[in-house]
Amino acid sequence: MDKRSGFHFDVKWVFILLILAFLLVFLVFPLLYLLFRAFFADGSFSLDAVKRIYSYSLNWDCLRNTLITASLSMVFGVLIAFPLAWLVTRTNLYGRGFFRTLFLLTYMVPPYVGAMAWMRLLNPKVGTVNVVLKNLFGLSEAPFNIYTVGGMVWVLTTFYYPFAFILLCRALERMDPSLEEAARISGASPVKTLFTVTLPMMLPSIGSSAIMVFVAAASCYGIPSIIGAPGKLYTITTRISEYVATGTSQGLADATVLSVFLMVLSLVLLLLSNLLMGKKNRITISGKSMRPNIVDLRKWRIPLTILTSIFAIVIIVIPFLSVIATSFTQNMGKSVFAEGNLTVRFWQNVFTRSTILKSALNSLITATLAATLGMIICIIMAYLLKRTNMRGRKIPDFLISFGSGTPSVVIALALIMTMSGRFGLNLYNTMAILVIAYMIKYMMMGMQSTISGFSQIGPVLEEAAAVSGAGWLRRMKDVVIPMLLPSIVAGWFIIFIPSFYELTMSNLLYSEKTMTLGVELFRYQMNSSQQTAAALACCILLLVLILNLVMRKLTKGKVSI
Amino acid sequence: MHMIKRMKKCLSGVLAMALTLGMAACGSGSDKAEDGSGSGSGNEAVTGSIVIYTSMYNDIIEDIKSELKKEFPNLDVEFFQGGTGTIQSKVAAEKDAGKLGCDILMVAEQSYGEELKEQGMLHPHIFPDADKLAFEYDKEGYWYPVRSLNMVLAYNPEKYKEDEVPHSMKDFAENEKYKGDLSMSDPLTSGSSYCTMVGLLDKYGDGYFKSLGHQNVTIESGANAVAKLETGEIRAAMILEESILKKREEESSPLTVIYPEDGSVPVPSPIMIVDEKYSANKNIQAAEVLQEYFLSPAGQKLIIKGWMYGVRTDMEEHPYDSKSLSEMLKNTIPVDYEKCLKQRDEIRALFQKEVSK
Repeated sequence: MDKRSGFHFDVKWVFILLILAFLLVFLVFPLLYLLFRAFFADGSFSLDAVKRIYSYSLNWDCLRNTLITASLSMVFGVLIAFPLAWLVTRTNLYGRGFFRTLFLLTYMVPPYVGAMAWMRLLNPKVGTVNVVLKNLFGLSEAPFNIYTVGGMVWVLTTFYYPFAFILLCRALERMDPSLEEAARISGASPVKTLFTVTLPMMLPSIGSSAIMVFVAAASCYGIPSIIGAPGKLYTITTRISEYVATGTSQGLADATVLSVFLMVLSLVLLLLSNLLMGKKNRITISGKSMRPNIVDLRKWRIPLTILTSIFAIVIIVIPFLSVIATSFTQNMGKSVFAEGNLTVRFWQNVFTRSTILKSALNSLITATLAATLGMIICIIMAYLLKRTNMRGRKIPDFLISFGSGTPSVVIALALIMTMSGRFGLNLYNTMAILVIAYMIKYMMMGMQSTISGFSQIGPVLEEAAAVSGAGWLRRMKDVVIPMLLPSIVAGWFIIFIPSFYELTMSNLLYSEKTMTLGVELFRYQMNSSQQTAAALACCILLLVLILNLVMRKLTKGKVSI
Repeated sequence: MHMIKRMKKCLSGVLAMALTLGMAACGSGSDKAEDGSGSGSGNEAVTGSIVIYTSMYNDIIEDIKSELKKEFPNLDVEFFQGGTGTIQSKVAAEKDAGKLGCDILMVAEQSYGEELKEQGMLHPHIFPDADKLAFEYDKEGYWYPVRSLNMVLAYNPEKYKEDEVPHSMKDFAENEKYKGDLSMSDPLTSGSSYCTMVGLLDKYGDGYFKSLGHQNVTIESGANAVAKLETGEIRAAMILEESILKKREEESSPLTVIYPEDGSVPVPSPIMIVDEKYSANKNIQAAEVLQEYFLSPAGQKLIIKGWMYGVRTDMEEHPYDSKSLSEMLKNTIPVDYEKCLKQRDEIRALFQKEVSK
């Protein structure tokens, strides 16, 4: 018996060491090297590059713009996500299952496609919404201008609130309902319960989802590059890509120095949130799962459903219709329904161009690998966190969070510098480097899903298996994984989807053999045909939805992201 | 115990499989090139693999690829398409590692050819018909112009009248009437736009940037500008002629090219063979044949079909709906390519100061 338990211990250690090694090699070392390069460009310590970059006033404008837009997006993103998550998980809102999927749609298409759609809808001169409103109310000025800080925040918010929405939905579902029940029994109204019990209990989750939205918005490249430029609103990410685009080694060095700012910012945020919320998290949301009680909205049920619908129309339906219409429009200067203006040629392009099909295949492979390998790590990490008291189990967890918190462009630059053979490992121009980048960036979301799954299943069955003599691997295979399956599949999707259309990192890491769908799409968008890009975006959305549907059928409705 | 052992074996097998699968999918396959030293005549003898880095648009590459397959049935030609800046950073990074991922470069403008030549990264190959080229070329055969982009103005006659849009580069920057209604591509990321700016600086002085800034010109990608011309959001764009011609031929678009009265800016782009030491496939013979093909009338036709100007004076063909090459060359703004290379940082900084901000 002694011998056996010693052996189990070993197997676990093998895994944790493997994971740790992976994170050290592909995350910690590249980022440290990036820092090193910023200060030791010519072999000796120097602040020259730092001075050059940070004494340039345009760069300060970029830093300011990034901070402002990301902070506002974070605030609005959470303000949108929390009520929505509460409505679809904890109330008897009409069609809540439907809304739950609907509000995730923006997670399933690349943000820059959305930026394009909003640009067509809200540009001050001929934006569709502006024109309609002007005619409707006889206004002389266009009511909206997308090329402003407000416009950028609007688009960033509508595309990044799903990060918070996904996390908050899960947290609300696995919340221990006994405190709420106690409040209700003591005579508190549902609204009072919401504000005095539910909301305070949710604070840690709200905090971590706010950080996710902030980092996603701050490291976004597609949206600012499309709608920022006309209003001369530059952000750190667009500046970094300008430096990279100079094609010189000094350009690369300058990009590095600028990206250190983003890196430090996300590290500080992460440490801060761990400090503030680490303890709370363990106390409030850890109970065994009982079904949380559903709040009856009563007379508010219909008004709130209508309000939710209107909201869905504004942030989901209108932009998506715009994308669909664009994909069928020959001449964008006319209505899609104008004579001879309806065309399917752009859809034909998507299915006949060999490069598009090849890129789609590449992205399918890389995203599948990233999601699968990522989930293996997530399951083991979640197990260690939730079921053991092993010392140091928090270290990989912190590193995974740090990876997700690090801006995409920083990850890509760091990987290029360290993985192109200088240190014996040459992954540059291979699919492996893409897979690694995706894993580092998106694993945390999958991990959240798995952890919440663990909170729901309780250790009893596994203990029973252990008593009957099953070893650790056996228990994982026969007890833990089958019970966790819905969470695992959901987590797999959460990693797969953004990897499938990822742009920022792929744009720096792709090669002629490993062109990805995100890069292909962005290139059509920026260089050749926006209609083809729109058709391609529709296809991505369709594919993701179909995959999601198939999974739901296979798991008998237990899985939804 | 036995059970556990088996399980362990099984698991490590699975892991190993996942890893090999991953790695197999990752193999770049660039080192299995064959030596292209086949003897005999005809293009069947040209074998092996060639990788070309280019900034030509992806729609055009598709056509060129299928044409090359017909012409060189035994040669495997791969294209890597990217923006000029992307390719230049890629080349810089790869040079650091000692080997490029390509055998031929068709990117940027001639100053880049000079730069790479000085760094010893190119393989010289004398093109016998060089006297028929309309543009400058390297006398030692390190680089030749292979296609010419042309920076012009464009507008949408369905949205604006002809007299409501600028007809010269000077007017574009200086006429207050157009303020806030103009768009151009970013010289910080686009090579042709950068050369155009250098040409205009020489012609009109530093004041030109100031005027552009005052005009509140939007700096954005070509496809964005095209879309905005179409919807009428902007009045005119300083844009590459090819993007308008493509739109006209493929989509019968109303968008119309304006050849500026003070001259368009043709920017010839070179073809270069990578030196054997740095080349991906060490297939120099095939690379030489391919370079000659691209410079021959047959290869030039592919370029012209892709809405770019060719470089040969002995050809009548020109892009769809465009002027002929000799007609186009009659009124141009010259570009000082040495200045492009030498004063790069200053010009970029000046542009950022005056226009971007």
